[in-house]
Amino acid sequence: MSAAAEPSHALPPPRPLGYRLADFASRSWQAILLAVPYLWLLVFFLAPFLIVVKISLALSEIALPPYTSLWQWTEDGALSIQLYFQNYAYLIDDTLYLSGYLNALKIAAISTALCLIVGYPIAYGIARSAPTTRNILLLLVILPFWTSFLLRIYAWMGILNKQGLINNVLVFFGVIDQPIEMMNTDFAVYLGIVYSYLPFMVLPLYVTLEKMDPSLWEAAMDLGSRRWQVFVDVTLPLSVPGIVAGGLLVFIPATGEYVIPALLGNPSSPMIGRVLFDEFYSNRDWPVASAVAVVLLILLVVPILMFQHYQMRQAEEGK
Amino acid sequence: MKLAVTICRRHALRLAATACTLALATPGLTTAAFAQDAEKVVNVYNWVDYIGETTIADFEKETGIKVVYDTYDASETVDAKMMAGRSGYDVVLHGSNFMQRLIKSGVFQKIAKDKLAGYGNLDPEIMKVLADADPGNEYGVPYMWGTVGLTYNMAMVKERLGEDAPLDTLDILFKPEYASKLADCGISVLESPTDVIPMALAYLGKDPNSTNPADYEAVVELFKPIRQYIKTFDSANYLNALPNKELCVAMTWSGDYATASTRAAEAGVDIELAYFIPKSGVPSWFDVWMIPADAPHPENALIFVDYMLRPQVIADATNFTYYANANKAATELVAKEIVEDTAIYPNAETMARLFTRNELPPAADRIRTRAWSKIKTGQ
Amino acid sequence: MTAAPAPQPGFPDYADKPWLDPKARPFVEVERVVKKFGDFIAVNEVSLKIYRQELFCLLGGSGCGKTTLLRMLAGFENPTSGRILIDGQDMTATPPYERPVNMMFQSYALFPHMSVAQNVGYGLKHEKMSKGERTDRVHEMLALVKLESFARRKPHQLSGGQRQRVALARSLAKNPKLLLLDEPLGALDKKLREQTQFELMNIQAKVGVTFVVVTHDQEEAMALSTRIAVMDRGSVMQVGTPTDVYEFPNCRFTADFVGSINLFEGIVTTIAGSVVTVKADGVEGELEVDHPTPVTVGTPVAVAVRPEKITISRETPTDPDHNCAEGQVLDLGYFGDRSLFRVRLASGRIVLVSHQNVRRARDEERKVDWDDKVWLSWSPRAALVLTE
Repeated sequence: MSAAAEPSHALPPPRPLGYRLADFASRSWQAILLAVPYLWLLVFFLAPFLIVVKISLALSEIALPPYTSLWQWTEDGALSIQLYFQNYAYLIDDTLYLSGYLNALKIAAISTALCLIVGYPIAYGIARSAPTTRNILLLLVILPFWTSFLLRIYAWMGILNKQGLINNVLVFFGVIDQPIEMMNTDFAVYLGIVYSYLPFMVLPLYVTLEKMDPSLWEAAMDLGSRRWQVFVDVTLPLSVPGIVAGGLLVFIPATGEYVIPALLGNPSSPMIGRVLFDEFYSNRDWPVASAVAVVLLILLVVPILMFQHYQMRQAEEGK
Repeated sequence: MKLAVTICRRHALRLAATACTLALATPGLTTAAFAQDAEKVVNVYNWVDYIGETTIADFEKETGIKVVYDTYDASETVDAKMMAGRSGYDVVLHGSNFMQRLIKSGVFQKIAKDKLAGYGNLDPEIMKVLADADPGNEYGVPYMWGTVGLTYNMAMVKERLGEDAPLDTLDILFKPEYASKLADCGISVLESPTDVIPMALAYLGKDPNSTNPADYEAVVELFKPIRQYIKTFDSANYLNALPNKELCVAMTWSGDYATASTRAAEAGVDIELAYFIPKSGVPSWFDVWMIPADAPHPENALIFVDYMLRPQVIADATNFTYYANANKAATELVAKEIVEDTAIYPNAETMARLFTRNELPPAADRIRTRAWSKIKTGQ
Repeated sequence: MTAAPAPQPGFPDYADKPWLDPKARPFVEVERVVKKFGDFIAVNEVSLKIYRQELFCLLGGSGCGKTTLLRMLAGFENPTSGRILIDGQDMTATPPYERPVNMMFQSYALFPHMSVAQNVGYGLKHEKMSKGERTDRVHEMLALVKLESFARRKPHQLSGGQRQRVALARSLAKNPKLLLLDEPLGALDKKLREQTQFELMNIQAKVGVTFVVVTHDQEEAMALSTRIAVMDRGSVMQVGTPTDVYEFPNCRFTADFVGSINLFEGIVTTIAGSVVTVKADGVEGELEVDHPTPVTVGTPVAVAVRPEKITISRETPTDPDHNCAEGQVLDLGYFGDRSLFRVRLASGRIVLVSHQNVRRARDEERKVDWDDKVWLSWSPRAALVLTE
């Protein structure tokens, strides 16, 4: 025991004021840093969302803004709050909305599955290529983002339509006699969504596949598994986090997708994005439009929470 | 050819562009609050490619007022921006069928007509029509106008229907015996319930501005048997689809058939397009200059509107855009082939078939939109 | 020293050392194997014969080609040229999943999403056995590595040492003819390493499988192996028992790599019987070395002396046969069991001397201390002459 341990019973000497101030500053700085993400969510997600919820509980009227105010001061100075839930009731009344949601979920789910089927081999190939080619391949995956999304969808219209590239080539080589109707079909919507969202599937998949220890594959092969068995037994189960992340990144925006079905799709099966658009722009009914948006968000929150839960479990296991 | 560089104002990007421009307005916001008109600026909001080639530059040169020129490609965009308020614009061009509601909401201010030297040039007939939506023409100054009709690829249609088909009626669309024969060459209907449904109501002999739900049910029923023959509901792509021979019948706005023809010519496609206004009546539409209530430079706004009332200025604009204008004094200055094109300047007989669309009460508005969804989904 | 097979009639002397038996059939034969990655030659003309039940070590620094050689044995890499035979069969081009070989990976490569039992049983999926047999085998393996109670844990719930044992159990489950171990003890701390070392040897004795171990740790190699192949820059420098490699290195590299050694470069001046006299740089007088193999006068050689073979003393050595040198203690490292001295000779040359602390002594009782003038001496039999 050294001398330092001796006066352990005595109070420590008060620290200089400057030190304490600096300590306080650094601690509050930490608090600020920690608060940034929450602040961000508050300002850019929660506040706008609450505004939308507020509008969804109002009634449409010809005024500026075009909906009723939720609260009013009565003459005797009391606050009266008037909430209308009929916008939500309306969504249940008319099958248009239900079929819009279901159709959106169906198209998003199928598109997500297609993205997975197409994106997995791409991500796998990139993850297993040489590091120098890998960067080029990743760049190529992201490259379409350098062109306007809208422009790319228009390009697909040029490719898919009756006089388009595909039909012309097929007819030229005599594969088909008559051009195939591809535009304004569900096929075109799936194609558009898969094409547009593929990078969102490929990138998270690539990340999980890339960090996978190659010796796991070798170990499985060493223990008697052929390549496809290695894939089924090891690669696939271990890439589930990437599949889930990529799936959500495709599924969530695809559910609310408006532009692709509007430009390529079949108008007889509108997705909820289209319904929302009509509600806002054609009906100019902001409250109902807001209700549609709130319900859509609630529908999407479910898979997000599932993902959260899954991630928490993963993190727990990782410890 | 001049028309070659004109892209139709109801341009292809409308769907997407409106999708991203929800309520929050930004342009011109920086100039708000300050100085009435000490600042030599005017913020103008117009349809894309819907003005003369040199109009803005000429105006700036003459008045020394800088034009902050912003454009849109869908009426709904303007509507949403105006309703959100504080747009920062001084002059806004908008469809007359949207006026009523916005005026009622207090979005626009009254126009000081006495400050507009060229006000007298306006066509009194058009002013009368507009007075339905804007009593006393207090809020709007008309700019250009047009109709809704059917554009045919004559060769393809004649090949299928023979020479005697009633092309100037909506029978072509609504009678299965015609529509079924045209399905293979492509029928497109405007993605615009405010145009299509009144037309269909008129075809059924009902009030195009009906508020009776049963009338709208009738329209839905009218579409049911022929829904399967409609290839697409679209207000933009027909500009390419017509020249590409992917459509043989397209419901279009009046100027668009000219644009489609030009595109075909540019692409070297030999095609004969023709525009017909169905006998049962079609909506006419009018675009109107208005000044927002909170315009930061209302005086400059009046100077701009007055400039646009000059016959030579507006005639140049028409010569460039191929849309008819509401300025009677300018007609003699407009290129002869445009004035004589009955698709653009309809003759008296056709004029009689035009009707105007009124703003519907919200309940009827909703019924109409719902009917539209039913029509499109074929339910 | 490891497996103790029953002495075969007629060849009792070779039972432990089959490599000395000219008639013994090697179990693994590596024949003139070359592996190139582009221009880089990772393995250069390596030939090895490994016998049944050996615990054979590939020892070398990083980039010496030992791991590449191991991976070629496993089938993960194909030789650019040469052949690999296992149990008499040419396996050069056989894919890993068809070789009777299993590998324990340096990172253990346990499947993180499978339990311990699933990991161990993974390779058995491909065997023709009933579910019950499979379960029994997994249990047997877990018992072998003393992890019966951990069967349902996931790898991340285990300690490093436990993971290592799971990896071992998994690689042994299929009862391979040959087990390859890549740095099997590398990820363990020192205490655990020593303990595991013996456990590994016991397990090998129990299962009787031939082991090929890759390691960069010469102590580990010495403790484990029947024989060691010392590798450098793609080539095998020496193959021999730990004693061979340590006491009779055949080249400067091996001498220097395995343990520490003092190398005195010099030239052979005279040869008298088996005693070679060398005039070495930085040493006064000449050094005598008992060197049984022939060299010629004038050959440049290195005289190699292990630090522990040198006696350090303040008194002048008395044995006239010994080589001596005078110097001053520059540094003293006390390791408990021994002390390491760095002694500077008059020429400035540094000599390492290791002294076993047989006698218990306090600091002040130390016989030789910092800055002391000391005499170093070693017998001619303690040193070696290296020509290569």
